[in-house]
Amino acid sequence: MTGFETARGRSLLIAACTLIISVAFCGLAYASGGGDEGHGGSVTDLLYRILNFVLMVIILVVVIRKTTIKEFFSNRKEEIRKKLEDLKRDKETAESRCNELEKKFKEFELQEKEIIEQFKADGVLEKERIIAEARERATQILAQTDLTIEREIQAARNKLRQDVVEMAATRAEEIIAGRIQDSDQDHLVNEFIESVEKLH
Amino acid sequence: MTGSRISKRYAKALLSLGQEDGNYAEYGENLKDFAGLCADNPEFSKVIGNPVFSVDDRKKVLNAVLEKSPFADLVKNFLRLLLDKNRIGGIEDVSAFYTRLTDEISNIIRADIITARPLKDEAMDKLDVVLAKITSKTVKIKVEEDESLIGGLVVKIGDLVLDGSVRAQIEGLKESLNEG
Repeated sequence: MTGFETARGRSLLIAACTLIISVAFCGLAYASGGGDEGHGGSVTDLLYRILNFVLMVIILVVVIRKTTIKEFFSNRKEEIRKKLEDLKRDKETAESRCNELEKKFKEFELQEKEIIEQFKADGVLEKERIIAEARERATQILAQTDLTIEREIQAARNKLRQDVVEMAATRAEEIIAGRIQDSDQDHLVNEFIESVEKLH
Repeated sequence: MTGSRISKRYAKALLSLGQEDGNYAEYGENLKDFAGLCADNPEFSKVIGNPVFSVDDRKKVLNAVLEKSPFADLVKNFLRLLLDKNRIGGIEDVSAFYTRLTDEISNIIRADIITARPLKDEAMDKLDVVLAKITSKTVKIKVEEDESLIGGLVVKIGDLVLDGSVRAQIEGLKESLNEG
């Protein structure tokens, strides 16, 4: 492990680089400002400035090291990374669920079609059955109706015949009762006696 | 039914006594006369048959009637017995059964003839002969008139009914016509 790989090494490296760059920029600024002025005051001023700057850098480094900004950002980065992973995982789960649901939806559509087809087929069969039953029932009703009509006609005929016979018999009784004579009675009695004799 | 059975027993008992002394026919006539007396005098019949009155009182009334009657003593005693046994109210049934029993003994059968018009004697004689032939018994005929027969006659002998009336012929004709 080299000295740059540790946190302390990296801090020292940053401080050294900062110091070198500062000196370089300070020299450059001094050169551009004209070197013909008094050398003693300028150098002292430059040294103060450098010292001041170095102190500021040191303070910054110490402050930065003491504070948890880096850790904060590191944690934040980790959280974001985890969150991204979770989101990615959730996305994959959702996509998987979506695919599954789409698949099921397609199955449902297929089943729906099958069920509808089955219902249609059953409906056709039921329709045919109902029509056949209705036809059979209609035939039975017609036959029953014909039978009933026939019976009613026969009953009406019988009733009419009975009425006519009754009227005729009543009329016959009236006519016979009005015209019968003693001779007829004698004839009837003799016929009766002859028929009784035949019984013996 | 029970009353008829008991009346039959009393009738049989009297008949057996009548057969022993040979006077069963006379006893039958006496019973018939007494039954006719009761039928003609319902108040008398009610008094002797009413258990509200004492047996002695009822017997006095019965004896008063029997003393003036020409009934045989056996019949008188029989009627008193009926009163003692509270069976005097069934005298008509007893008389009817007795008559039926005596008819059987005497080989007599009774025929009811219902006719639309009065029958001539010649027709009655013929009927008597022919009914005796078919029953092989002496026939006692009772004649009634019923104009609703229109013509002809009906003969009833026990359960046998011989219908030679015009009304029956018309009824037969009606049935034939109705049968088509």
